[in-house]
Amino acid sequence: MNRVLGNAGVALGLAASVLGFVTVVVALVQRRHDRIRIARSYAALVLGGAVLAVVAMQRALITRDFTLAYVADNGSSLTPPLFNVATMWAALEGSILLWVLVLAGYLAITVVKFRHRLDDRLLGVAVAVQLAVCIFFFGLLLGPANPFRSFSPPIGYDGPGPNPLLQNHPLMAFHPPMLYLGYVGFTVPFSFAIGALVTGRVGEGWLVATRRWTLIAWGFLTVGVIAGAWWSYEVLCWAGYWAWDPVENASFLPWLTGTAYLHSVMVQERRGMLRVWNLSLLCATFSLTILGTFLTRSGVIESVHAFSSGSVGPLLLGFFALVVVVTVGLIGWRGDLLRSPGRIDSPLSREGAFMVNNLAFAAFAFVVLLGTVFPLVLEALSDRRVSVGGQYFDRMTLPIAVLLLFLMAVAPVLPWRKASAETLRTRLLVPAWVGAGALVVAVAIGARGFAPLVCFTLAGFAGGSALRQLVLAGRRQGWRGLVGRTNGGMVVHLGVVLLAVAYAASASYSHDAEFTLAPGESASLGGHTVTFLGTTTEERPEKQAIVASIQIDGGDVYRPSLNRFRQAGQLIGEPSVRPSVIDDVYLTLLDPPDETGAATIRVVIEPLVSWLWVGGAVMAFGTLLALFPGQRRRRPTDAVSAPVPRPVLAEPDVSPARPEPVEVS
Amino acid sequence: MTVDSTSTVADPPPPPGPPAAPPRAAPSHAARWSAIAVGVVLVGLMAVFVAGLGGDSDGPITASPLDGRAAPELAGTGLDGGTVDLTHYRGSWVVVNFFATWCPPCVQEHPELISFSSRHQAAGDAVLLSVVFNDETANVASFFAAQGGTWPVLVDDDGSAAVGWAVTGVPESVLVAPNGIVVGKIKGGVTADALDGIINDLERQADGG
Repeated sequence: MNRVLGNAGVALGLAASVLGFVTVVVALVQRRHDRIRIARSYAALVLGGAVLAVVAMQRALITRDFTLAYVADNGSSLTPPLFNVATMWAALEGSILLWVLVLAGYLAITVVKFRHRLDDRLLGVAVAVQLAVCIFFFGLLLGPANPFRSFSPPIGYDGPGPNPLLQNHPLMAFHPPMLYLGYVGFTVPFSFAIGALVTGRVGEGWLVATRRWTLIAWGFLTVGVIAGAWWSYEVLCWAGYWAWDPVENASFLPWLTGTAYLHSVMVQERRGMLRVWNLSLLCATFSLTILGTFLTRSGVIESVHAFSSGSVGPLLLGFFALVVVVTVGLIGWRGDLLRSPGRIDSPLSREGAFMVNNLAFAAFAFVVLLGTVFPLVLEALSDRRVSVGGQYFDRMTLPIAVLLLFLMAVAPVLPWRKASAETLRTRLLVPAWVGAGALVVAVAIGARGFAPLVCFTLAGFAGGSALRQLVLAGRRQGWRGLVGRTNGGMVVHLGVVLLAVAYAASASYSHDAEFTLAPGESASLGGHTVTFLGTTTEERPEKQAIVASIQIDGGDVYRPSLNRFRQAGQLIGEPSVRPSVIDDVYLTLLDPPDETGAATIRVVIEPLVSWLWVGGAVMAFGTLLALFPGQRRRRPTDAVSAPVPRPVLAEPDVSPARPEPVEVS
Repeated sequence: MTVDSTSTVADPPPPPGPPAAPPRAAPSHAARWSAIAVGVVLVGLMAVFVAGLGGDSDGPITASPLDGRAAPELAGTGLDGGTVDLTHYRGSWVVVNFFATWCPPCVQEHPELISFSSRHQAAGDAVLLSVVFNDETANVASFFAAQGGTWPVLVDDDGSAAVGWAVTGVPESVLVAPNGIVVGKIKGGVTADALDGIINDLERQADGG
């Protein structure tokens, strides 16, 4: 029953994608643009097929229908409800199903949002591109990644359940969907970029629409990446949150190019420049999502959390090749015609800063990509197996990150076109004081070391710059000053500052020790005292847990544990963390107690880690603010002499009352 | 208090952009050349990926924390009540296969194990040694009775063998060289051909180097 429903859903989705694609392409070729409207019905069918397949899979998981091989391999009667739902994305086939659902959802929203402009040629191309992507992923579901294969279970069969690591923490139900909403969301701006390249229309309102879609996808990806880091911190016993693992890099790469786009698109809006560069960034972002999927799903790269299944690898690589051929070909063919004539007047200007920003992000992405694929390249050339350690990434990315922090401080105060030294001096005064203050405070509370101190200073500088902008906007417009792209962006910057401080502090100043303690014994580390109270053994349906009770600083009791999952039989530790604003105390139980009851525990003191999660939340909040339309910028033809009540506070670069001449291309 | 001197200075509209130079004096092909350069790099990268995919096809052998070390002790009671000891098989390749009857991929790979075992039975150059993982001995006995298979099966009641051999899930097969050194492991189901391929490769490497 579930198998039939699921296969029917996949088949429906694939058929609707193919028919819709053919219809739209024929309409485009014959220039019967009114026919593109039919895409709406096809989009509805594609979404219907995806929803049907997902409902069938969820139903099978909930009813423990072990006649589905996917449920037999990954489900279990012992899995708690939340993780049972999340089992859908615990293995390769189900994760592609989630991908397809999100993709179909974005397609449906695209055709609904632009329903009045569906006879536009550019939109037709965009819809055709999205349908083509749908064809590929539905095809995967029907072929090598079919989640609805059958299995004949023996009587009394019960499955092993998802990987025990995936059923330890509620974030597992949250992190993959967020990540996919981001990852797959980049399909929409990519499709519009292809539309612009094919039709040769790079200006107009498409830019604004594309920017907003990119922002939505970027916001989800940000939340997804940080939720993944948090999950890893709370679940894996290594007291870290980022290891430059290929899977992490795969999610980080499109984030980098997407971030670059979100900045450089403003240069295009204000100055009409960088058009082809922006389209290229969108294409690169989408290609990197496919490349990342290939790297993590094909088994070419070993990673702690890559899915292992070789059969989808060649198909994903083929799809990546197709995307590259189409985009690189289109840019090579049309790019020179679409490039804008404008040039930058002065490097010391907002657009100059955005250019440096883009170079830095591109370099960042290149460094991460190189480190990720280098083992493969070396193996192909010399048959040697190496792994690129975190040190490479830390060393290579540190200077770029420092440059980006510096730009974050300076760029928001730079006016467009050209800045004078006087402008910079007055506007950077407050941020510079904040930066100096951050340095003084950091040294006063005992922070040492060149790199972290540089980072704290620049973070203060950048934070001061963002705060200054927000205060000015708030004074001028009240709470409305927070809404809109520029100021939402400043809120995002504040979140990034928190992340930078947290990363620098936790990477530089964390320390750890292992103690073997008898019940009642205490140990001290980094100004904290831990007291081991003893262990208990708890029996739960899905696992047996050896739980240690450890009192921190004479206060609350925390319980790290060792869990033996019944079905998989693995012994997996679960850390316990006491979070605080200043430092986290991270406890893991390393060994079960011996005959005397003494157990070995590991204690890690991690300064400022909780700032990461706060920073992530601030970034998400800022993205939301940036999505709302701010006060409309006036058109160039509007009267310039609009009333400006307090001219002293008006600032040319943000004031809505001050139009910039817009280059009409 | 922040006073922007520019807010008063810049009141007249900013000067127009660069003087009216012809916008497209010389046709530029920057986009084309960049696209070609990027394309060439990507073609190279994809060739590497193809090589990576091909390299993996002869067996998904992965690194094990035990690689290069002497195989941990593995001895105890067999399914038939006799003694099973890994050291008896020194001189042959040993595939130490951790499995359970409740695990579908284990059930699926069983016929492959049977054919691998029968291929090498006469020569004795490679043997299978299965270790029961978190399962009832009675289930395993009836499973082998029904499915076939005559190689030694070790009952690992307390799971100590699985822990000692760093097993992360079943099925998992650890490959021990004739000199008793662990050379790698295969996560997930195996096929007889894949096992033979891996062993042949390793033998060739040992001969060559």
